[in-house]
Amino acid sequence: MNEIFRIHSALGSFWWILLGVFFVIYIILDGADLGAGVFSLLLNNENDRAAIMSAMAGTWDANETWLVVAGGVIFGAFPLVYGATFNYLMIPLMFALWGIISRAVAFEFHVHAKSSRKFWGFMFGFGSLIAALFAGIALGATLLGFPMSTGNAQGIQVANDPFVNTVPHFSGTALSFLSPFSIWTGIGALIAGGLAGTLYICARFEQNDPIYKKAHQSATLFSYLALAAVVITLVWSYAIMPDAARWTGNGWFGWLILLVAILISAYKMMSNHAANRDFAALLWCGAIVVFMWGGMWATNFPYIIPQTWTISAGANPANDLAILTLFMTGFVPVMIMYNAYQIWVFRKRITHLAGYESH
Amino acid sequence: MIIENTLPVLLSRLDFAFITSMHILWTPVTIGMSWLLFFLEAAWLKTGNEHWYRLQRFFEKLFIVNFGAGVATGVTMEMAFGILYGPFSQAVGPFFGNILGFETITAFMYEAGFIGLMIFGWGKIGKGMHAFATFNVALSSSLSAMWILVANGWMQSPTGVVLKNGLFQVTNWWTAIFNPNFNIGFPHMWIATVELALFFFAAVSAWFILKNRHADLFTKLLKPTLLALIIVTPLQIFIGDELGREVAQDQPTSLAAMEGHFHTYLPDGKPNTAWNLIAIPDVAAGKNLFSIQIPHVLSLLETHTWDGVVTGMDHFAPNDRPNVWVPFYAFRLMVSIGFFLFLMALWGNWLRLRGQMTAEKLRKNPLFLRLLVFSGFLPYLAVWTGWWTREIGRQPWVVYNLMRTWQGVSHMGVTAESVWLIGYIIFELMVWGGAWYFFTRVIKKGPDMDSPVIGTPGSDAHQAGGGFAKPTFAKPTMHKNL
Repeated sequence: MNEIFRIHSALGSFWWILLGVFFVIYIILDGADLGAGVFSLLLNNENDRAAIMSAMAGTWDANETWLVVAGGVIFGAFPLVYGATFNYLMIPLMFALWGIISRAVAFEFHVHAKSSRKFWGFMFGFGSLIAALFAGIALGATLLGFPMSTGNAQGIQVANDPFVNTVPHFSGTALSFLSPFSIWTGIGALIAGGLAGTLYICARFEQNDPIYKKAHQSATLFSYLALAAVVITLVWSYAIMPDAARWTGNGWFGWLILLVAILISAYKMMSNHAANRDFAALLWCGAIVVFMWGGMWATNFPYIIPQTWTISAGANPANDLAILTLFMTGFVPVMIMYNAYQIWVFRKRITHLAGYESH
Repeated sequence: MIIENTLPVLLSRLDFAFITSMHILWTPVTIGMSWLLFFLEAAWLKTGNEHWYRLQRFFEKLFIVNFGAGVATGVTMEMAFGILYGPFSQAVGPFFGNILGFETITAFMYEAGFIGLMIFGWGKIGKGMHAFATFNVALSSSLSAMWILVANGWMQSPTGVVLKNGLFQVTNWWTAIFNPNFNIGFPHMWIATVELALFFFAAVSAWFILKNRHADLFTKLLKPTLLALIIVTPLQIFIGDELGREVAQDQPTSLAAMEGHFHTYLPDGKPNTAWNLIAIPDVAAGKNLFSIQIPHVLSLLETHTWDGVVTGMDHFAPNDRPNVWVPFYAFRLMVSIGFFLFLMALWGNWLRLRGQMTAEKLRKNPLFLRLLVFSGFLPYLAVWTGWWTREIGRQPWVVYNLMRTWQGVSHMGVTAESVWLIGYIIFELMVWGGAWYFFTRVIKKGPDMDSPVIGTPGSDAHQAGGGFAKPTFAKPTMHKNL
C-alpha cells in the first residue's frame, strides 16, 4: 500500500509541475495578446486597432488554448480541486469568460463590420481588459484559499448519499472571492498584461511605425509600474500568507537567489527595451514570469490551493493519474512544437497599414 | 424527492442547457466543413482547376467566422463543469475529467495549432503544407468531437467504473471509453456534422444559383454535394435507428419518454407495441391524455420483432421518470427533419439523372432551390432537438442510474445562477446575431474571383515568415493623394 501512495504522490507532483508549465506558457503568450488588446484602447482609430489584431491574427487562438489546456489538466489530474475551486471562482471566471467571448468574436466581426466597426473595436480592447482584470482577481482569490465542507453542496442532508461526507465541496458564497488582495492582484494583472502587450507590439511592428513608437513609450511606463506592483504584491503576500513565511526561514538563501534573478531579468528587460532590442526584451519579460510563477508554485508546496487543497488530496486516484501520464505526456512536446512553428511562421514585423483580413 | 425540482437545481440545469445549446450551433459546422474544405483544396491541387480554389477561399471565410464563435463559446463550456456542477466534476473526475484532459491535449491544442496556419498561412507556407494544415484541422476537430461524445456517452451508459470514496473510479478504461452509447452516439453525431456542413454548402449554392450570381460555379459545387448527401442522409437515419435501439436497451426511461410509452403491457396482459405518432402526455398521471397510435410499430422499431416487449414508463418509480413533453416532440422534430433532408437529396439527384442539373435549368425550378436554402437551417434544428432529447431524456440522472442531477449541482444561490443566465443570454445572443449577420454579409459579397491565385505570379505569395503584402487599409491612404 505504501508503494501506491508513493507512486500517487510522485504522479501528482509531476502533473502539478506540468500544470505550472502550462500556466506559464499561457501567461507569457496570451498575457501579451490580452495586454496588446488593452493597449489598443489607447489608440484612436479603427485601422490601428485592426493592425493590432492582425499582429496576433495567426496565433491568438493557439495562445488562448493554453488556458483551456491548463483547465483540462486541472480537471483531468486534480478534479477535486477543479470542482471546488471553479465553483468558488464563479463570478470572476464568468466575467473573464465574457471578456474572452467579446474579444474572440471581435476579431472576425471587426473585419466584416461597417457601421458597427467602432463597437467591435471597443469590444476587442475592453474584452481584453476585463479578461485580464478578472483572471488576476481569480488568481488572488485562489491564493487566499476558500472554505469547504462535506455534505451536499445545496446544504441538504440526505441519508445514505454516497457523494456526501467523503469529498469536501466549496461552501462559501458567490462573493467569497472578493477581498482587497484579490482586487489588487486584478490590477496587478492589468499592469503586467499592459507591459507584456506593449513589449509584444514593439516586437511585432516595424520600428519606424507610429504604433511602434507609441507602444515603446507605454512599455517604458508600464515597466516602472510593474516593478512597483511586484514589490507591493510580494510584501503584501508575505504579510498575509502563512506559506510565505518560508521566504525568511531556513532556505532563505534560495529565495534570495530567486529574487535576484527576478531583478536581473527586470533590469535586462528594461535595458534591452531602451536599446530597441524588442524580442530580447520580450524574452526577459517571459523570464520574469517563469521565475515569479515558479516561486509562487514553490511557496505553496505541498498545497495546490494554499491552505485548502494539497496536491495529493486533490489529485485523481493513482491508477487514473497513471493513465493520464502514460497517454498524455508524450503530447506535451508536440503541442509546444506546433505552437512554436506557428509563431515562427508569423514572425515578420508588420506596419499600422496591415489589416486583420490579410487572409 | 422534493430537492429534484427546487429552483436552484432547475436554474443550474437551464444555465448549462443554454450555454450548451449555443455552443452546439458552431462546432458541428467546424467539424463537418473542415473536411469539405480539405476536399475542395485537394481537388484544386489535383486538378489545378481554379474554381475549387475560389470556392475553398470563399467558404473558408464563413468557416473562420464560425470558428471564432465556436472558440468563444467553447472556453466557457470547459469551465462550466466546475463552476455549475462542482460536486459532479469531483465525483466523475477520475474518468470524465481525464477524458476532457485528453480532449484538450490531443485535440483542442492540435486544432488551434493548425487553424492559424490554415487561415492566415496562405502564401506563407507551401501549398502542400497548407493542405496538410487543413487536413489536420479536420482530423483534430473530429477527434475533439469523439472525446466529447465519449464523455457524454458515458453519462448515458456509465460502464467500467465503480463508486468508491465518493468518486467514480475506473476499473476498465476500455469499456468506459467504448461505452455502449458512445459506440453509436458518436457516429450519429459525427455524421450529423457532415450532413449539416453539406446542407450548408447546398443552401449557399442554391442561393447563388437562385440569384444568378456565379451560378455555374455553384452548380459545379452542388453536384458532388448532393451526391454525397444521397449517401449521408439515409446512413444517418439508419444510425439514428440503431441509437434508438441502444437507448431502449440501456436507458429505458429515456426511450419511454421519447416515445411517450407509458404502459409496458396492455390491460389484457399483451405487450404494448403501439407507436405514438402524436400524443398529449400526462406524466403525473402516467398516461397519455390523447394519442394517435399505430400498433406494432414501436416493437418493430426498438426490437425489430412484431410483438417484442418495450419497457414503458410504468416500470419505473415516479421520481425516476424524466419529462416527456420535450423528448417526445424534440425527437419527432429531429426524425421528420432527417426524412425531409433525405427526400431533398433524392430530389436533387433525380434532377441530375434527368439532366436538369445546370444553372439554367435549375433556375426554372425555384421551388427546389428555395427548399434547398431552407434545408440549410434544418440540420441546426435537428442537432438541437437531438441533443435536448439526449439530455432531458436522461433526467433526473446526471450519470444514468448512479448520480442524480441535484447531487452534482454546485453550491450557488439563485441570484448568482440568474446573473449567469442573463449574462450568457446577452453575450451568446450577441455572438449568434453577429455571426449570422456577418455570414449574410460574406455571402452577399460572394466569392473573390479576381485576386490572383496563391502560388501564381502576381499573387501575394512569399517565403515563410513573409509579411502581409496586401494591407487591407492601403486604399484610404492612396485616396488622399488623388
